Amino acid sequence: MSIGSPDSTVGVEDHPASAEPVRSATVAHGKSPTRIAIDRLRKDKVAIVCVTVVVFFILVAALAPLLTKLEGSDISTFNADLVDEYGYPTIIANAQHWFGVEPKTGRDNFARWVYGARPSLAVAFVATLVGTIVGVVMGLLAGFLGGWVDRIISWVIDFVLSLPYLLFAIAMVPIVESLRGGSFNLSPSEQASTRFLVLIFVLSFFGWAGLARIIRGEVLSLREREFVLAAKAIGVPTHQVLFKELLPNLVAPIVISASLSLPAYVTAEAGLSFLGVGLIEPIPSWGQTIANATNWFKADPLYLWLPVLGITVLVLALALLGDAVRDAFDPKTRR
Amino acid sequence: MLYFVARRLFSALSVVLATLVVTFALFFIAPTDPAAAICGERNCTQERYNDIRENLHLDRPKVQQFAEYTAGIFAGRTFETSGVVQDCKAPCLGFSFKSNRPVTEMLASRIPVTVSLVAGYSVLVLTIGVFVGSMAAKRRGTTADRVLMSSTLVLSSIPYYIVALMISLYLTILYPILPRGGYTPLSESPGKWFAGLLTPWLVLGIYSCTQYARYSRGSMVETLSEDYIRTARAKGLSDRVVTYKHALRSGLIPVVTIFGLDIAGSLGGAIFTERIFDLPGLGNLVLSSLTTYDLPVIMGVVLVSSVILVTMNFVVDVAYSVIDPRVRLS
Repeated sequence: MSIGSPDSTVGVEDHPASAEPVRSATVAHGKSPTRIAIDRLRKDKVAIVCVTVVVFFILVAALAPLLTKLEGSDISTFNADLVDEYGYPTIIANAQHWFGVEPKTGRDNFARWVYGARPSLAVAFVATLVGTIVGVVMGLLAGFLGGWVDRIISWVIDFVLSLPYLLFAIAMVPIVESLRGGSFNLSPSEQASTRFLVLIFVLSFFGWAGLARIIRGEVLSLREREFVLAAKAIGVPTHQVLFKELLPNLVAPIVISASLSLPAYVTAEAGLSFLGVGLIEPIPSWGQTIANATNWFKADPLYLWLPVLGITVLVLALALLGDAVRDAFDPKTRR
Repeated sequence: MLYFVARRLFSALSVVLATLVVTFALFFIAPTDPAAAICGERNCTQERYNDIRENLHLDRPKVQQFAEYTAGIFAGRTFETSGVVQDCKAPCLGFSFKSNRPVTEMLASRIPVTVSLVAGYSVLVLTIGVFVGSMAAKRRGTTADRVLMSSTLVLSSIPYYIVALMISLYLTILYPILPRGGYTPLSESPGKWFAGLLTPWLVLGIYSCTQYARYSRGSMVETLSEDYIRTARAKGLSDRVVTYKHALRSGLIPVVTIFGLDIAGSLGGAIFTERIFDLPGLGNLVLSSLTTYDLPVIMGVVLVSSVILVTMNFVVDVAYSVIDPRVRLS
């Protein structure tokens, strides 16, 4: 593995902390830990491949309308002429339907696949963002303020971490739906958007606690350091100490946690949709397609394999990338 | 020590109580009309609706309803549906008005399935997973170790349900190499019980083995570099004795901790395995209750598995502090 190449830390050793470094305008001065980590990631071949794959999926999701226009079909048109009387598709692929059509309804597979990338990525990114923000704020508050604030937040963290999250996610669906007036009174698109929000809520609700615990631990040791003491002594207000002094030192755990939770959320979204408690029609999603396709897998393997490959490749790339990010940021492997 | 146990017990109890309150609040306070939610919307008659309202005392204050639900768990209570009085015995987790049965009874009929699944799974991960992990730790840095560890990383990065689903579809249905998943009670036919559970065990077991191999490799690598291992080797003990008697004993401690929580989690959450291999366990009960909006059943399963998880957490913590005194001090 290419981790820990000695030249990446050269800049740090050149300038002892006590001496005033002589800076020239052109030569880069000592590197920040984040800079070092990014440099190491650049040299990691696995990470580069993973980034490419992830960017490909993001482009597919972002350009979904364009791609379907290019193909000349859309996600919701029923093509009854392309399926036989038993529901089996009569074509495998043609110029109009690059990956064939769905059994029974005859909707275009390619269009549903590219649109299916959207909810997976959207749910994962939004849930990661919300979970990270809440986790960081809670961890900072608990670690820095201490006392009863710490006790309450720590208890809540323990509580959230000891709940069976999959079961709660499943239980939330009927409750939120009945809050909005019962599933039978909602239009399909209202119901689908409710599910979308429930997913993001559940994932971020169970996602913040782990990070908050890590941040709290880090802050507990950081707040005893001289630079925090100095900032407090010259009268810097608490919120500035938290966000200007402490936060920059917490970049590594935050980036690691976020990059590891992305694949977990993509997996969770598709898994819940597969079980029937995640996204539902009319939003196309890979998990849902897999659940439908299990009934047709013998006659129409492509219908099953498209979303299966989509999820597998995306999650694999995100997970290996997360692993590479962790290695790059980990000071233990820096030597 | 006693202080530590007491403190952990207190926090475990507070979490159980909070879980009870939260689940009750979710199911009884959040829905605008819990009776309508429990009754369902397809075949709900006015009579049934009134029955449910009456039985759950939904017109009374929420605190009193909560007290009654909690009292039911310890002392049991009775429900009346269309004139018939139904007795819900001591650990009463409510009454399913959809299937006219106490929730506890429904859970009890599903628990053997989930326990059978988890039992076989435990045997696999604790033998194969730990064995592979310690072998890799002994051969640290060799090509075999690297190949093994990167392949476990890749396998464990693929979502579990994809692996399980593909194996189920292709290896048990299309090409029946493995027996199809299903459940027959052990008392009825041990052979059929084993055959029906074999594939789920293998799939769940081998998938999780990758993680257990990683954990035990990490912990064994650390243990094998300790001084007492060198002493044992210097004494002239055989390699096998050093690895399996001296190192494995302390190297297994963190693995057992993770195992405890993992088992507690799977007891309530082997949902994907049960769904894909068609095992009528607790997870499948939740999913089928979801399609019929049978809220009391979902609430019961959530409550039971939370309590199992919290209890296991507590047991693992205490056991850990007995094995490793340093934990108590932190």
